[in-house]
Amino acid sequence: MTDTEEPQAPTTTSTTSVAAPPDKDSAKICILLNATGNVPIIKKRTWTVDPNKTVSWIQKFIHKFLKLDANEQIFLYVNQTFAPAPDQIIKNLYECHGTNGKLVLYYCKNQAWG
Amino acid sequence: MAHDREVLRMIWEGQIGICFQADSEEIVGLRPEPFYLMVSRLSYLPLVTDKVRKYFTRYIAAEHQEGAVWFDFNGTPLRLHYPIGVLYDLLHPNEDGTPWCITIHFSKFPEETLVKLNTKELLESHYLACLKEADVLKHRGLVISAMQKKDHNQLWLGLINDKFDQFWAINRRLMEPYNDQESFKNIPVRFYYDDDFTYMQKLISPLNEAGQRKNLADLMAELSTPVRKAVGFRTHGICLPEETQLQWMSEHMSYPDNFLHLSVDYVSE
Repeated sequence: MTDTEEPQAPTTTSTTSVAAPPDKDSAKICILLNATGNVPIIKKRTWTVDPNKTVSWIQKFIHKFLKLDANEQIFLYVNQTFAPAPDQIIKNLYECHGTNGKLVLYYCKNQAWG
Repeated sequence: MAHDREVLRMIWEGQIGICFQADSEEIVGLRPEPFYLMVSRLSYLPLVTDKVRKYFTRYIAAEHQEGAVWFDFNGTPLRLHYPIGVLYDLLHPNEDGTPWCITIHFSKFPEETLVKLNTKELLESHYLACLKEADVLKHRGLVISAMQKKDHNQLWLGLINDKFDQFWAINRRLMEPYNDQESFKNIPVRFYYDDDFTYMQKLISPLNEAGQRKNLADLMAELSTPVRKAVGFRTHGICLPEETQLQWMSEHMSYPDNFLHLSVDYVSE
């Protein structure tokens, strides 16, 4: 995830560097993070993500960003409708469920929409 | 749709013979005989392997007996939340007729490569999430959200207990166009390439710009690029004729998760 700042990747996977070729496949995807329920809010809502990053990568990122306890879990939903599989890639979600150039994701600490 | 019910039946009845073997490093004492099982292509490994697990447990070192079970074929860990038929077709093991030999493990769960959807409860919520996503694509989510919890339960119980009528009594509602529409909004489909487990999803309309129903030949053109040409599709172990309509396929050849899982054959231009 990058924007004006580059947060540390939560896993050992290296973050994409500025040196990455700007070809079409690697064009980053804009995601909008919305807090829901009693989860702390991340002030910066818009992030850009490598299209091949997975849902679990985003979950780990939020978990780390919010400095949650190890036993707390982050649930992620697309457009308040369904929870994507942890190994689903952001590109697929964006292609099918993106709106106005953005993928809208909701995060919470408890299961929300089934 | 009623006259094509036989197709639904044949898809439902598709089975794979599996030969389960123990991981020799986990065995204490005598090596057990393999365990053979016929399983539904439409089911998931954690749903059909209670007996297999029970059989091997007594040969496994005590400290591993309660471990998270997983499977591999020739060293490739098998995704627990993919339908068994999808795994089998992607790995295309040997020729038909011989059992598919896979290894069961009770320890060293490969957390890096495998999502730990290893219990019935976790799989059930994953399954429902797939149904919801599919319905968002087909009907903007309107059909599934109008259903009751007991309908969702009936779909799941129909699947895990192999009850065709119970499952289709509800699934039929998900597999019809909404209200006065002639087709779905988009077709829920996941495309796989050769041995790769990662799939591609994109919006695929069942109709072309002129409003006519698209077939697989149209889909080939849609997926082809100047350097790579799509030349064929496979699912449920069969190659599909290119005149097959996408809307019909979605209604009849989707897995119980309501997605079509298509392997795409490509040639380089």
